[in-house]
Amino acid sequence: MALRAPLLPEHLAAARDGLRRGGLLAGGHHHDERGAGEEAGSHHAVVESTVASARSFAAPDAQPLAALREATVILDDRAVLRRIDLELAAGITVLRGPNGSGKTTALRALAGLVPLARGSRDVPPDVLYLGHRPQLLHGLTARENLRFFRDFRGGGGREARIAAALDSWGLHADADRPVERMSAGQRRRAALARLDTEPCTVVLLDEPFAELDVAAAELLLRALREAPPTAAILVATHGHAEIDALAARLFEVGDGKVTPARQRP
Amino acid sequence: MTTTIFPRILTVRIQPALAVASIVGALVATAMALLWAPPDANQGEVQRIMYVHVPSAWLAYLAFVVVFLASVGWLWSRRPVFDAVAVASAEIGVLFTGLALVSGSIWAKPTWGVWWTWEPRLITTAVMFVMYVGYLLLRSLSTDMDRRATRAAVVGIVAVLNVPIVHLSVTWMNALHQLPTVLRAGGAPAIDERMLATLIVGVVAFTLLYAWMLLARVSIERQRQERVMREQA
Amino acid sequence: MLRRVLLVAGREARADRRQADGLVAAITFMAVLVLLLSLVVGPHVARERGVAPALFWVALLFAAVITAQRSFERELADDALDGVLALPGGRDALYAGKLLAIAGSLAAVALIGGLLQLVFLDLDVALPGHLAIAAALGVAALPPIVVLDVVLTLRLRARAALVPILALPVLLPQLVAGTNAVTAAIAGDEPTAVAWSLLILAFGVIYTVLGLTIVPTAIE
Repeated sequence: MALRAPLLPEHLAAARDGLRRGGLLAGGHHHDERGAGEEAGSHHAVVESTVASARSFAAPDAQPLAALREATVILDDRAVLRRIDLELAAGITVLRGPNGSGKTTALRALAGLVPLARGSRDVPPDVLYLGHRPQLLHGLTARENLRFFRDFRGGGGREARIAAALDSWGLHADADRPVERMSAGQRRRAALARLDTEPCTVVLLDEPFAELDVAAAELLLRALREAPPTAAILVATHGHAEIDALAARLFEVGDGKVTPARQRP
Repeated sequence: MTTTIFPRILTVRIQPALAVASIVGALVATAMALLWAPPDANQGEVQRIMYVHVPSAWLAYLAFVVVFLASVGWLWSRRPVFDAVAVASAEIGVLFTGLALVSGSIWAKPTWGVWWTWEPRLITTAVMFVMYVGYLLLRSLSTDMDRRATRAAVVGIVAVLNVPIVHLSVTWMNALHQLPTVLRAGGAPAIDERMLATLIVGVVAFTLLYAWMLLARVSIERQRQERVMREQA
Repeated sequence: MLRRVLLVAGREARADRRQADGLVAAITFMAVLVLLLSLVVGPHVARERGVAPALFWVALLFAAVITAQRSFERELADDALDGVLALPGGRDALYAGKLLAIAGSLAAVALIGGLLQLVFLDLDVALPGHLAIAAALGVAALPPIVVLDVVLTLRLRARAALVPILALPVLLPQLVAGTNAVTAAIAGDEPTAVAWSLLILAFGVIYTVLGLTIVPTAIE
């Protein structure tokens, strides 16, 4: 089900989309805009003469588990992503690009954190998004944060699982310390422990290796290697040899565009 | 500037027509207000301010209802024209609200001896003024066009719903404290025919003026939007 | 959905328990303001009908702004807010959960501030039950608008000043109704107290429903 940033209860949104497709309501991505025509999706009509839309070249039988299609994202009146196509199938996909290229925005768009000015987002609700910062609430311990996330998703997991996850990420001693009293590296580990406590179909990791010490980086690599084959994992990096080696697909991000790079065997 | 929503007909035909109509209407209304309508039996010539005060207030309410509709339109469809209408109407609304407050004050002093009374309608108007100044303030501090529109739309919706609520609670409060209710702005029910006619003409003239200003302002805003769209394309 | 709302509220409560400085600050602020204002207008004037309740509600409103802003500042640290928004159903549960949690904090603030006022001004309350209900309703009616305004201004520079500007005019009816309800309760005027309390309830419901409808889509 393609959704834009939800503005209305779902059935109203579906009704509106139906009306659009039937041509009764202007808007939606079926319009063929020319020149400075008005874009119903937002303020910003992206003028494209040639659309270099990159398609994923996943194997024909691999179903995309998550996708952005013809997606344009505008932040602060600037088009950070222009009509990109990004499909995630099972396995590890790497999104590579320099700082400021739009990797973070692409991940946030997949996570549903930024609205699309154009295009569609096709992502199951079962998404784990780990961004640049740990996303842990100050005033809670690591354990409490993880418990909150797990409970929110409805996972009735046993307490032992959280304890085990924190242990395996080296936080046994600090699990019950308030997050604000942990070091940055420890917070990152706690955030990454969510990989174990919140198993999801789609996992989005934004530069997960940043600020990790060697031991933690090893733990992360192992977690990625041992990830269930049915999960679609997207890792955004600005270049990391080991993760590239693990990746089934590679995309380059630059200049608002996403293009497939050479597929690793 | 041609777009699908702002067709040429509006700028070439209707806008100039509205300009002419507004000016003519304003002249006629002024003439009627100053010359033709009789002076009030009790208040004398001062009462003529009503011909400015009442239409201003009416227009302020109209403008903010338009802001409400445009805000809903933006949240529903995300079409930029709705945001343009919202900001245009809010700016004009603030202008007319201010005019209503000032003219009301000028009317009050010689008539009732005070610059201000705590009458429900006046309070509501003052609160409305503050709310929409806040609306414009919020807009001016936002940079991102889309986010600004969304934030403003939420405030626009809340503000309009608040107007009747404020009126209700202040009316009730005044009744409770048994404050004297001041002469209603429209005058006694059995209003002189010529006064009523002048008033109606005034309201029509102001409405035309509003429509003209709205169209002009929306046109400017649309041009701005188009320019930003082009810059980042 | 309710489960998630309660989880968000519980998360907030747990963080507040460990980082109690926010709540302490709000309570202190309330107490100082209430006592200060009474002193400034003079205890005799403060004991006059309607004055103390008005001071109470205005002070509580500012305490609410402080509390809500503090709550969201904490969310911005380490992008904790994004963590919740990225969860399925996170957007919808966040606003409602925050309302519950902040209302709870405000109840504590109101209780202490109110008691201080009653004690220091030696006010005799004729209808304490009605007073409590009116106060509770008023406390519940403040967060919907305050949180809405904090959310709207979350990523803006001048948000500290902007929130009161946006919230105060909209909450004027609440302040009027709250003041009159409490005044009537103190004076023993039961029908008036009930009537104003119902008005507070009505306003609270309207703004809560409105907020629940439009705020989730506006969170950035």
